[in-house]
Amino acid sequence: MTLLDVQGLSKSFGGLQAIEDLSVSVDEGELVGVMGPNGAGKSTFFNLISGVIQPDGGRVSFDGEDVTGDTPESLARDGLVRTFQHTRELETMTVRDNVRLAAPDQPGERTLPALLRTGSMQDREETVRERADELIEAFEIDHLADEYSSNLSGGQRKLLELARALMLDPDLLLLDEPFAGVNPTLTKEIAERIQDLNDEGMTVVVIEHELETLTALVDRLVVLEQGRLLVEGDPDDVLADERVIEAYLGGDVE
Amino acid sequence: MGLTQNIVFGLVTGSYIAIAAIGFTLIYGIVNMINFAYGEYITIGAFIGILAAGALPVPLPVAVLVAMIGGGVVSLALAKGFFTPINDTGPIPMLLTSIGLGLALRNVIRLLAGRNARYFETSTTTFRFEGLPALSVGPVDLLGNVFVTSEHLIVIGCAVVVFVVLHALLTRTDVGIAMRAMGDDESLARVRGINTQRIRDSVWVLAGVLAGLAGVLIAIQTNASASTGYAHILQILAAAILGGAGSPYGAIAGSYVIGIVLALSTAFLPSGMTELSSAVAFVILVGVLLVKPSGIAGQEVREA
Amino acid sequence: MSLASRLPSGDGDRALVAGVVLVAVGALFALTPLQTTLPGAFYVFIEVGTLFAIYGMLVIGLDLQYGHTGLVNFGHVVFFAAGAYTVAMLAAESPFAGIGLGLPWPAALLAAVIVAGVLGAAVGTTSIRLRDDFLAIATLATAEIFHSLFVAFQTIFGGNVGIGSIPQPVGDLVTDTDTAMTANILLLGGVMLVTLAAVTRLTSAPYGRVLRAIRADDLVTRSVGKSVFTYKMQAFVYGAALAGFAGGLFALYNGAIAPGYFTIQVTVTVWIGMLLGGAANHRAVLGGLAVIMGLRLLSRFALDVAPVSSSAFASIRLIVVGLILVAVIRYRPAGIWGDAKELGVDT
Repeated sequence: MTLLDVQGLSKSFGGLQAIEDLSVSVDEGELVGVMGPNGAGKSTFFNLISGVIQPDGGRVSFDGEDVTGDTPESLARDGLVRTFQHTRELETMTVRDNVRLAAPDQPGERTLPALLRTGSMQDREETVRERADELIEAFEIDHLADEYSSNLSGGQRKLLELARALMLDPDLLLLDEPFAGVNPTLTKEIAERIQDLNDEGMTVVVIEHELETLTALVDRLVVLEQGRLLVEGDPDDVLADERVIEAYLGGDVE
Repeated sequence: MGLTQNIVFGLVTGSYIAIAAIGFTLIYGIVNMINFAYGEYITIGAFIGILAAGALPVPLPVAVLVAMIGGGVVSLALAKGFFTPINDTGPIPMLLTSIGLGLALRNVIRLLAGRNARYFETSTTTFRFEGLPALSVGPVDLLGNVFVTSEHLIVIGCAVVVFVVLHALLTRTDVGIAMRAMGDDESLARVRGINTQRIRDSVWVLAGVLAGLAGVLIAIQTNASASTGYAHILQILAAAILGGAGSPYGAIAGSYVIGIVLALSTAFLPSGMTELSSAVAFVILVGVLLVKPSGIAGQEVREA
Repeated sequence: MSLASRLPSGDGDRALVAGVVLVAVGALFALTPLQTTLPGAFYVFIEVGTLFAIYGMLVIGLDLQYGHTGLVNFGHVVFFAAGAYTVAMLAAESPFAGIGLGLPWPAALLAAVIVAGVLGAAVGTTSIRLRDDFLAIATLATAEIFHSLFVAFQTIFGGNVGIGSIPQPVGDLVTDTDTAMTANILLLGGVMLVTLAAVTRLTSAPYGRVLRAIRADDLVTRSVGKSVFTYKMQAFVYGAALAGFAGGLFALYNGAIAPGYFTIQVTVTVWIGMLLGGAANHRAVLGGLAVIMGLRLLSRFALDVAPVSSSAFASIRLIVVGLILVAVIRYRPAGIWGDAKELGVDT
C-alpha cells in the first residue's frame, strides 16, 4: 500500500529550478534510498515533503491524505518524521531532554496542567521518561544521557536524532544523510539499526552520499539529477546504469 | 506655514539624518550589528566641533573637519575596544553591548559637559522669498512665504557632497568595492581574498566620520547637548530600515522620507500633539518591518 | 500519584508558600489596627524594596520571553505602562488631567491584565516571526510609539503630567505611614513571590522543555510536532500580562502615574538585571535585578556623603550600569548565576 505519494512536485528559487516535475512513491514497509550528485535537489526534496518549504506545484499525499504544504509540526504528528543533514541538535539541552521533548500527547506541555501539576500530567511524564530511557539505552548512548548534546560526537548526535525521531512512533522516517561525518564503525551500526527498524515494519527513506553503505542497505534506489528523477530501481541495476555513471562524472562519488 | 516651507525643513532634517543613516546602515550591513551607541558618536562629533570652533578658535569649516576626523578616530577606538573582540557572538549580544556602551558614553558626556546646551556662534543669513502666491488647496497653502537660512543650505549642501563622495568611494575605490562585496556576501568576499577585518575597520572609520559630520551639522542647526545624538537614533534607525538595512542608497531615500514626513506631521498635527510626530517615524518603522522588512532597496534580510 | 506529589517541593513551591505568608502578614497590617513603627533609616530600603517587588514581576515575565523562549523583547515597558494606564484611567477619581472613571480598583486591576495581554497578543502576532534583531527593533519602536501617545493626548492620558488621584487601597485602609509602607512591601513582595512560583511551575514542567527547545532551534522543535508559533505567542502574552499586572499594582501603590515612569530606562534596567543574574534562571534574574537596584540604594547613600550633585551621581550610576552590561556580555554571558551550557555561551 502506498504510504507516500509525490506527484509532479516542483520548486524554483529565484531563477533556479531546484525541483522539476518530480514524481516518486514509497510503499509501506519499503527501505528507499535517494541519491544524486551535488545540487541534484535531494535536500530540497526532503524539505518540500516535510513542510520546511512550500512547493510551487505538485501534490504530496501521505497515508492517502493530501498533505501538500502542511507544516512540519502537523506532519510530525501525523507520523511523517525527519532528521536533518547538519545535525540540528538542541545543543542547550541534555540528551535526555532532547528525547523526552519529542514525546507526543504531553498534557504537561499545556499551560493549565503545567501550572496545576495535574495527575495526568505527572503520569504521562513518568511514561515519557521511561520510554526515553529505553530508547537512549537501545541506541547505547545512555552513558551520555545527562550530557548536553553539544558535547556529543558527530556519530553520537546521529544516534540521538534517531532516538528522538523514534519517540514519535513514526509511520514514515525520512533520514537526511545519517552517515555524514560518521566514522565507519558507527556508520555500520547506524545502518544496522535502520535495517532493524525496517525489518520491524517501519517505512524509511534515506538520503545519502555514502553510496557503498546506502546501496547495501536499501531495497530500492531513486536517483535525482538537477531536480528531476533520473532513474529508479534495484540498487545494483541503478548503479550500473550509464546515465547514473555519467551524472556522477564531475560530481563527487565516494 | 506653507507646504513648501515644510518641505524645506524636511529636506534639512532628511539631510543630516541621511548623513548619519549611511554610516549606521553600513555598520549594519558589514559588521552585522545594530549600533545603538551611534547616537553618542554624533554627540561626540558635535562637541568636538563646538570645542574646536569655540575654544581654539578655528573657522567653522575647519571645526567641521576636526569633528569628522575626531569622529572617525573615536569610532575606530570604540570598535577595537568593544565590538571587534565580540564580533563572533552574534547580532543580539552586539546590540546589547552597544546599548550599554551608549548608556555609559551618554552619561560620561553629561558629566563632562553639564546640563546646558552649547551653541555654535555663527552668523546666519536668511534668504526670504516673500510675496509668493499662497496657492491654497483647502486649509493647506502650497507656497506662501518661504525662507531658507544659510545654515539650511550648508546642511543640504554637505549632504549632497557626502552622497557624491560616497558613491565614488563605493564604485571607484578598492575599499569601497570591497565593502559592497562584504555587504553582499561575507564568506564569498573572504574567499576572494578580502581582508574582512580591515574592511570592517574602514567601515567603522567611515561611519564615525559621517556621524561626526552629522553631529556638527545638527549642532549648527540647533545646539549640542549630551542627548543630541540619542534624540535622533531612532529616526536614523527608522530611516535605515525603511531604506533597506545595509543599503546606503536606501538609507538616503529613507532619510528624506522620514525627514519630510516628520516635517509635515509637525505642521499638520494640532498643536500640543507635536509629540506624535516622532511616533510617526516609529509607525513607519513598524509598518516596514511587518510588511516589507527588506525595505525600499529590497535588501535580502540575511540570516544572523 | 498521591497528594504527596502535589505538596510543596522545589523552589517554585517554596516561593509560593513564602509569597502566601507575606501576603497574609501584609493583609494583617492593612486590615487590622496592628501597627508598626519603622526607623527612619529604613525608609529608603523599603521604598527601593517595594519598587524591586514590582520590577521583579517585570523581570520574571521577560525571563519567560527571552531567557526561556529566546524572544528578544525590547519594549517590555509598554506592557507595564498599558497596565498602569488602564488602572489609572478606570479607577482614578476626577484626576487633574486625563480620564478617570472612578471604577472599583479590583475590576481595574483585572482589566489591566487583560489589556496588557491583548496588547501582547497584538504585538506578538505581528512581530514574533521577525528575526531576532528586527524583533528587538519592532518591540522597541512599539514602546516608543505608545510613549509618544501617552504624552501627546493630554485629555485622555494626561500628557506629561499623567494621571493622579488613583485610589491607593492600602493607603486608604491604613492611616499610619509606617504601617502602610510595611503593608505595601509585604503585599507586593508576596505577590511577586506568588508570580515567581507560577512561572517556575510552568517552566519546570514539560511546558518549559518546549520553550527551551524553541530557544535552541525553532525548526527542530517543529519537526518533533510542537506548534512553535503557539508557544511563542503564549510566552509573549503571559509575559505581557504579568507586566500589565505589575503596572496596575504600581498605579495602585503610587497613586499617580506619568510617562516619565515608563521610559526605555525601565526596559534597559530589567534587561541588565536579567543578563547580570543569568537568564533562564528565575531566581538568578531576581538576584541580578537586586544588584542593579542595589546600586540605586548605594548612590543614594553616597549622595549623603560625597560632595557631588545628585544628577552627577545619577550619571555615575548609569555609567556603571552601562559598563556592567558590556562586561557581562563580554566576560560572563551567562551572568553571575546562570548556566553557561543552558544558554549555549560556553566556549
